[in-house]
Amino acid sequence: MDLKKDLKKILYAGLALATLLPFGWAQSAKTPDFTGVWGTFKGGKGPNAKFAAPPAGQLVIKPEYAKPYEARRAKEAEANQRGEQLANSGAQCVPYGVPTMMSVAVYPVEMVQTPKQLTIVSEAFSEVRRVYLDRPQLPLDEVPPGYYGRSVGHWEGDTLVVDTIGIKTSVNGYRGMPHSEQMHITERMQLVTPDVLHDQITIDDPVVLEKPMVYTLAYQRLPNYEMVEFVCDNNREFIDEKGVVRMKVKDK
Amino acid sequence: MKSRLLNVLAMAMLLAISAQAHHSFTMFDTSKSVTLIGTVTSFEWTNPHSYIEIDVEEGGAVKHWSIEMGSPSILQQSGWKFSSLKKGDKTTLVINPLKDGRAGGFLNTATLPTGKVLGNGPGRGPAK
Repeated sequence: MDLKKDLKKILYAGLALATLLPFGWAQSAKTPDFTGVWGTFKGGKGPNAKFAAPPAGQLVIKPEYAKPYEARRAKEAEANQRGEQLANSGAQCVPYGVPTMMSVAVYPVEMVQTPKQLTIVSEAFSEVRRVYLDRPQLPLDEVPPGYYGRSVGHWEGDTLVVDTIGIKTSVNGYRGMPHSEQMHITERMQLVTPDVLHDQITIDDPVVLEKPMVYTLAYQRLPNYEMVEFVCDNNREFIDEKGVVRMKVKDK
Repeated sequence: MKSRLLNVLAMAMLLAISAQAHHSFTMFDTSKSVTLIGTVTSFEWTNPHSYIEIDVEEGGAVKHWSIEMGSPSILQQSGWKFSSLKKGDKTTLVINPLKDGRAGGFLNTATLPTGKVLGNGPGRGPAK
């Protein structure tokens, strides 16, 4: 009788293994691997045009936040007309944070993916963000506000869905947009070809935005690229008494 | 004339892509081009920008200039290396000077001691 029970147990265990294991293998075999260095996608014309990022959505800021934002943009444009640039965080070597670090000028990003974590390193300013793939998001009041916040991700088919909260308000959002502590970023990362990666970024902020801002970044794989060191230790730009960015010149 | 136009176009492109870069280039006068022939006092392969420090003889006196370039990552795409210039090298630089008149500028092209002419990152200066 006991023997029969044991056999049954072994049989069930075997069945469980037989169903679970291939599932696990299939998952890992199918899971895309973003590991590698990614530069801005340049094939927006010709046969590869279809892999270019779709146009960005509209940025609609609530009126009380839109006013100061527009005023600042107008001041910046005015200063540009005069041939001056107003102080910004980049000129002072302050990191960009999430989401801006994902697209700083022409600097590439490097992704290192393991089953439990996707690590993203931006060449500009050597910024690092970590996306945990094996745990849930925390409540907002448990995440200390910072440049990168806290990111967790899960796979939906071939798409990695990344959820980020906890970006401090001094860190600019899309195109310098303001945001509250409640800003919530959802990214959908997908290989549209083995060598083209799209990151669709949705910024939601119930306090500042009328509707979520959606835009997509397109990257192409840079197969043999070695990331260049970027330590901001020779910043000669300074902000003068008028708040304008200027360059120090060395006296002999 | 044509190269001037190309320069302006290149600058416009650079401005367009540098929206999120370290800083804009409005402090430099892109309508002016100055040629500096002198001796390198230091070549700084650094971030967020690289710099060429250069002594230029002007009517018996020596004037010192600080010339800003792109970052190493951007410069290497147009053929630059950390060792492209060193202290004591004679070089010719074509620059856009600072608008405020101080002795500084933004590099357009540099002629290395080998005779090789390098630009200031993709879209600026001669093709690779």
